[in-house]
Amino acid sequence: MASSVEQAVDDIKGQFGEISPNLVLFFASSRYDPALISRGMHDAFPGAQVIGCSTAGEIASGRVLKDAIVAMAFDERTVSGVACSVVTDVTSPDSLMGAVREIEEKIGAPLRDLDFRKYVGLILIDGLSGAEEHVMDRLGDLTNVVFIGGSAGDDLKFQSTYVYLNGEAYTNAAVLALLKPVGEFGIIKTQSFRPLGITLVPTKVNEERREVIEFNNMPAAVAYARALGVSVEEAPKRFMHNPVGLVTGDDFFVRSPRKIEGESILFYCMVKEGMDLALLESTDIVADTRKAVEEKVRQLGGASALINFHCILRALELEEIGHNEAYGSIFADIPTIGFSTYGEEYIGHINQTSTMLLFK
Amino acid sequence: MTGEIKRMIDLIIEKRLNGYEVLKNTTRTKLIIKGFNPDRWTSQSEDDPAKIAELKQIARDMGIEL
Repeated sequence: MASSVEQAVDDIKGQFGEISPNLVLFFASSRYDPALISRGMHDAFPGAQVIGCSTAGEIASGRVLKDAIVAMAFDERTVSGVACSVVTDVTSPDSLMGAVREIEEKIGAPLRDLDFRKYVGLILIDGLSGAEEHVMDRLGDLTNVVFIGGSAGDDLKFQSTYVYLNGEAYTNAAVLALLKPVGEFGIIKTQSFRPLGITLVPTKVNEERREVIEFNNMPAAVAYARALGVSVEEAPKRFMHNPVGLVTGDDFFVRSPRKIEGESILFYCMVKEGMDLALLESTDIVADTRKAVEEKVRQLGGASALINFHCILRALELEEIGHNEAYGSIFADIPTIGFSTYGEEYIGHINQTSTMLLFK
Repeated sequence: MTGEIKRMIDLIIEKRLNGYEVLKNTTRTKLIIKGFNPDRWTSQSEDDPAKIAELKQIARDMGIEL
């Protein structure tokens, strides 16, 4: 853990050794000045596309960190092509389309025509913008290539988060990176919950505020509390262990309650009217994650690198119960970087989940 | 009239797969996130004009001709 940007960048450069990267990915605590860290990392690797974001905690092979910078370098042996762009205003559809067109010009093909088996996308997005759903929805319309990533953090200050591209620092923005891995790659989406067999259907919502006003035609807070058999006053204490999940066949996409306001519940993720939301109960994050990683590594026949977008709510729970070391140990044998996010991206925007990209 | 919404959803999924069955779950999930759970619409579902208009827009956004 270096005390200055300069020391940190020098340390990273030293650890990378003689590699000539075409892509450098880094995640940095918000204690590092955004403009300085982005410039420093870019200047250290002038031949590479350098992308990153601010965090709420970091992960490196086998270790869960705080106030640190973690980085991973890719070269042509791992990623044969990389094209990056920035969405300078994540609330603007035109800005997103501009960033997409820039990538398409760089690779010489529309995203729509790309082979989803040969390409994968990374997305790092402002974690306080509330715009993740729209960006992921549009990207999903445009291509079958999977974009995976996370919402930038700021160490729980909730003031401003940053994404980084080639020496610049941006807020209210997203960085897109399209990668063409040389070998196979795999994706993990893992969350540690089981359904309780109770369905809550939002019957009145304010999508833009991520607000559920009514569940099952009852005030949302009342319906949620009643489903758990607790009072409305006690309900917020259950949020972390009892979020809801958008049911998608055998899987679900977690939506985490944030707070009660009046009789509404505000979420960390948008929900729409009429969706089936399963009430969930937490299970063992370490055991579930270990199983998911081991299975994917077995499927791939090994993993040479792993990028972990790890929800801050999961990180807080692991810290609270003293399981950080056990969690870190899952990644001890795989070159890994990751960060604690303010939201995870995979097909859509998700909460209380880890999305991971693995390279064979 | 009934069944138009189901027909449109099935067509969007089919055209989006373009022969790659492995994309079926992803495409279904995208539609569920947009508020159209394929399992909740049948050939007996009423043709709600507002929902049909929404689906037409989704198809356009996805570059699909229905």
